[in-house]
Amino acid sequence: MLKTDNESRAALKAPAQVVSLCVNGEWSELAVKPRTTLIEAIRDLIGLTGTKASCESGTCGACTVLADGRPVLSCLTLAVECDGMEVRTVEGLAEGDKLNPLQEAFLDHGAVQCGFCTSGMLMSATALLERDPKPDREAINKALEGNLCRCTGYNGIVDALLAASGQPVKARTE
Amino acid sequence: MQNELKYVGKSLRRKDGPDKVTGRALYTQDVRLPNTLVGRILRSPHPHARIVRIDTSRARALPGVKAVITVEDTKGIKHGFVETPRYPADQEVLARGKVVHVGEEVAALAAVEALTAQRALELIEVEYEVLPAVFDPEEAMKPGAPEIHPSHPKAPRALANIGGTTETEWGDVERGFAESDYVREDRFECQLRTHGYLEPQVTLAHWENDKLNVWTSSMGGFVKRAKLAKVLDLPQSSVRIHKTYVGGTFGGKIDLYSHEYCACRLSMLTGRPVQITASREEIFSAYRHAQPLTLEIKTGVKRDGTLVAQRIRAINNAGGYRGSGVVVIFLAWGFTMIPYRIPNLKYEGFSVYTNYTVRAPQRGHGAPKVRFAIESQMDMIAEALGIDPITIRLRNARGSGEKLPNGDDTHRGDLRECIRVAAEKSGLLAKYGRDRKSPPKGTIRRGIGIGVSAYMGGTLIYPNGSAVIVKMNDDGSAIVLTGAIDIGQGSETVISQIVAEELGIGMDDVKITSSDTDTTPQDIGAWISGMTYVTGNAARQAAGNAREKLLQAAAEKLGVPAPELVAADKVISHRLNPEVRMTYREAIAHSVAKRRGDTIIGEGFWRTMRDEPAHPSLATTRGRWTENYAFSAQVAEVEVDIETGEARLVKALTVHDCGFPINPALVKGQVDGQVSMALGHAFMEEVLVKDGYTLNPNWLDYRMPTIHEMAESEDADVITEQYRVGQPYRTKEVGEGLISGILAAMGNAVYDATGVRLHSTPFSAEKILEGLRDLEYQKKKKLKKIEA
Amino acid sequence: MILFDFGYERAATAEDAVARLARLGCDARLLAGGTDLLPSMRSELVMPATLISLKAIAPEAPCLGAGGSLRIDALTRLADLERSELVRERLPMLAVAARAVGSNQIREMGTLGGNLCQETRCLYLNQRHDYQFAAPCFKRGGECCYPFPRNKRDVCWSVYMSDVAPALIALDASIEILGANGTRRVGVEELFSGSGLRPLNLEPAELLRAVSVPARPARCGWGFHKSSVRGGLEFGMAVCAVSLRLEADGQTCAEARVALGAVRERPVRAAAAERLLAGSVLDKARLAQAAAEAAKEANALPHHGFTKRHLTDNLRVYVRRTLEQALERARKEERAC
Repeated sequence: MLKTDNESRAALKAPAQVVSLCVNGEWSELAVKPRTTLIEAIRDLIGLTGTKASCESGTCGACTVLADGRPVLSCLTLAVECDGMEVRTVEGLAEGDKLNPLQEAFLDHGAVQCGFCTSGMLMSATALLERDPKPDREAINKALEGNLCRCTGYNGIVDALLAASGQPVKARTE
Repeated sequence: MQNELKYVGKSLRRKDGPDKVTGRALYTQDVRLPNTLVGRILRSPHPHARIVRIDTSRARALPGVKAVITVEDTKGIKHGFVETPRYPADQEVLARGKVVHVGEEVAALAAVEALTAQRALELIEVEYEVLPAVFDPEEAMKPGAPEIHPSHPKAPRALANIGGTTETEWGDVERGFAESDYVREDRFECQLRTHGYLEPQVTLAHWENDKLNVWTSSMGGFVKRAKLAKVLDLPQSSVRIHKTYVGGTFGGKIDLYSHEYCACRLSMLTGRPVQITASREEIFSAYRHAQPLTLEIKTGVKRDGTLVAQRIRAINNAGGYRGSGVVVIFLAWGFTMIPYRIPNLKYEGFSVYTNYTVRAPQRGHGAPKVRFAIESQMDMIAEALGIDPITIRLRNARGSGEKLPNGDDTHRGDLRECIRVAAEKSGLLAKYGRDRKSPPKGTIRRGIGIGVSAYMGGTLIYPNGSAVIVKMNDDGSAIVLTGAIDIGQGSETVISQIVAEELGIGMDDVKITSSDTDTTPQDIGAWISGMTYVTGNAARQAAGNAREKLLQAAAEKLGVPAPELVAADKVISHRLNPEVRMTYREAIAHSVAKRRGDTIIGEGFWRTMRDEPAHPSLATTRGRWTENYAFSAQVAEVEVDIETGEARLVKALTVHDCGFPINPALVKGQVDGQVSMALGHAFMEEVLVKDGYTLNPNWLDYRMPTIHEMAESEDADVITEQYRVGQPYRTKEVGEGLISGILAAMGNAVYDATGVRLHSTPFSAEKILEGLRDLEYQKKKKLKKIEA
Repeated sequence: MILFDFGYERAATAEDAVARLARLGCDARLLAGGTDLLPSMRSELVMPATLISLKAIAPEAPCLGAGGSLRIDALTRLADLERSELVRERLPMLAVAARAVGSNQIREMGTLGGNLCQETRCLYLNQRHDYQFAAPCFKRGGECCYPFPRNKRDVCWSVYMSDVAPALIALDASIEILGANGTRRVGVEELFSGSGLRPLNLEPAELLRAVSVPARPARCGWGFHKSSVRGGLEFGMAVCAVSLRLEADGQTCAEARVALGAVRERPVRAAAAERLLAGSVLDKARLAQAAAEAAKEANALPHHGFTKRHLTDNLRVYVRRTLEQALERARKEERAC
């Protein structure tokens, strides 16, 4: 696309639209431009920074959140598309200070090192367990294939999922 | 002694775990300051070009643009990964006069929001005069090659574009070859690969009240502070690097990046915070990558496989500036001479400028490439001599108490033991050669291979040592001030374990305040086991210092000599008569009230190689290096589909001499992660470049392992050290050195599965298929000869 | 982050979407899942003035139609397609193909129609051009081609990568295209022009409404394979989708369909391979022969770092293996395939 578009585009009216989002059970009304992505709305407008921006092109999964129960890439989702939707982020997993069983399993089994992939990984894992409470290895792989981790080699993450779903796994921490 | 320990040696959960699984952990991109400007960098579209003219006026005039800078707006102070008299700083923060790689930083700007910043970037006019470029280091070395920079004055006169050299020798290699029963010469190459950290490069800088506050993704705040202060021409005390969580580094976030300087300078000019985030594409195409190394190795051995002589020539594709290239060619020598005894050695390494992005260390910093080469050749030698891969290695591997050629000592480090344990646990000798001898039905072949390596810990890199402060609270809990930065390896957990153990308090009683250059003491940084060995020992000392003071205070109050007291579980009691006791709280209260008002603060400082002023010479390798050598032997089992060439790692066994594990779960995490990185290097990762441009600047086409590629990973310690409360300890490097052995093992395993010997990574399906085709052809040729 | 502004409106129905497209012209784009469109907007390959969202249009569930055919709404998410009991039972190859796409999140977001209407891809194309390959290539409306500098202006060798398209071709699917003048039905293959510059045969004010797959007769078997370096999060190196129908004797081939994806600007029907198979007894040798022919017919373009030779080698093996799978399934006399 030739760049002359930019100058004429400067005159384009792209007014903000009001979007209602229910994030982790709380409704917010946000004024967003059409180009505002869901991750920008979550991190910058609502202020929940647990969801991470890493590649901004849907190739790493760090930005994964649940939208109406589906794991989606918030970097490739426009906020205006989410009007009226229920969004869940990593901040919504624990109950106050009490970590949920999946979060505990992540810590018990070495699924966390630098932590940058962790939010997205937890959301993909949450979506999986809600749909399939006792997933086999193939199901785990398919559900998490869109979440890259550079630190753990995934071994701890797989162990955590097996543990969280009540399946046998070797202990890693005491 | 070990089983009396409460915390050290235990697989405890990460202290920062809860923050990370709840989204509370703040990384640099999560830090919010009001009125922050968006910064962007203008990058060179050419691999080599003279900058004729830069006109920023149209960009400056765009409403919403607050500042635009080029090199003319800087102090003109250079920086470099290495800054020594022989290798002075060679890179400016923005290009001056010419650009030497695609993506090099030419200008920077700050604007009120992202669209304006983008538009402004497009309004900066730069006129370039394109210069001939050179991309292959061996071409770049030739006299008459396009000059990227003048060769180093100490480099051989005939060679061009030399950033630095390393040369050393001992014995007489030519005589060694003459005396050898078998000699072979091989050439090995490794592809360009990159770190792939999930957290992007990002910096937030705020100049306020004559103080620069910086949040940046790094591996060590003190190095960043030193370099930033230098290029900004500020005293170090005017620069504060704040603590942030860090989302992975792997060597790619050590030295100074242009965008860090630019964020700071733009903030100083505008008085507002400035944030610059590199896009993933910028990271892939303009930032530091690992270094492709070419190794030519000639080796001579006796009939029984004992090494006699080795000659190595290493050529590093260093990129547009010196970067860490002059270090990797030094390290390549190290990784050669530590694991095996080599009576006669001649080593030369060349770091060569090319019109590519600058290089940085990547986890292992040359070890993976060197060990891949040497271990592949070792297996080829073994096969030629009819010796198995274990026996030949045991003959050459170092054991404990051996003197190394540079004067260092292996102490209790024992590679032979690692190899023995690896052979036994993996059953390598029984499995080796199986599918080649009797191929199973179907197209899948299984192979097994071994690779050994060694690494060093706590070596002297600025700032060379770590200090830790332990402050007791009135209730007996403690706050630990440490400059250590947790990049994922678990430093905060390990430090807590040590302090809890030394102080006799619980893990929950230890609170860590870390990695803030104003409030926490100097730290060596998160590389080459800086954390566990150096900072850990400093923490131990600091906690011990605090314990001593506690005991003194209690001794005074109880009227008992301090050596008769023991401290545990926040209670001090008489060694023989436990009824004579007081709580920490009481002892501290007494100390504050009576004993010179001392609030019980303990200090510790640790540095390796205390008798050595500096790191050994990069150019000559002379000088003592470290007292901490780690050894490892790793075994890989792979599967190859011989119809398609598709190969995968099925199982990895890592036997490592980590000294002893302070937290075995964390060690296992490091092993798993390195196995994953190694299999990426082995089978799928490559930065594709053409004429200086990056073709695959994204995670779709730069393939890092997904969960599908996960291999079974087993690890075993060879315990050679131990922990005693109150004594210095020696743990060994486990965070970087365990990629090399498993990478080499995969190469050997692919050969075992298929008979195809590859001399370059990655072991792509295409290369394996071509190798298989070649074998078929050779077989047919042989049959024809027999028939004829 | 998308670095330009654009307008946004929501269509109430498919007809409404078409009407809006007609009104807004080439400057407007349809937004379904966004997994192809948004990355392209981020890279500024496309910079629409307006997005017409299809969000408000609830897709109909896959349903049985005349003669046992299965009609699938183009707005069906790939994950729902993959999980549909009806699709799994009657068109397992389609479920497998949908499951092979991208990643879990991409499948939960992306739609069948969006997957079929994706743009062709090339390493030099699918990135931002702030400082690399800044001069636009032919596909970007410019004057050059980076990977193939000798190509003329009307030749763009970007590759069509959909995993689902070859499966639909092997299943003899047809598509419903909704335009201003109503619906037209064409075989799915006719969606593809074969030109990397303009890969889809869709008028500006048309949208893909549904896909229809006929019922499978008896003695039909299928095979599907997506070659890739990793197990997921990838476009294919090559995609093979085959369908075989056997005669009553259980070994002679009555009909064969061999469709290859990620090979060229459009999916390729390996017609010569199909002719080798139809009417023949399907033994090992015949399958290998047909596979070799198909690999040759593909005339694979080197793409994404893979050489033509390697892609051809890969196809030769996997077309044969998928044919073997299809034969085995056909022999089991499955009702649907």
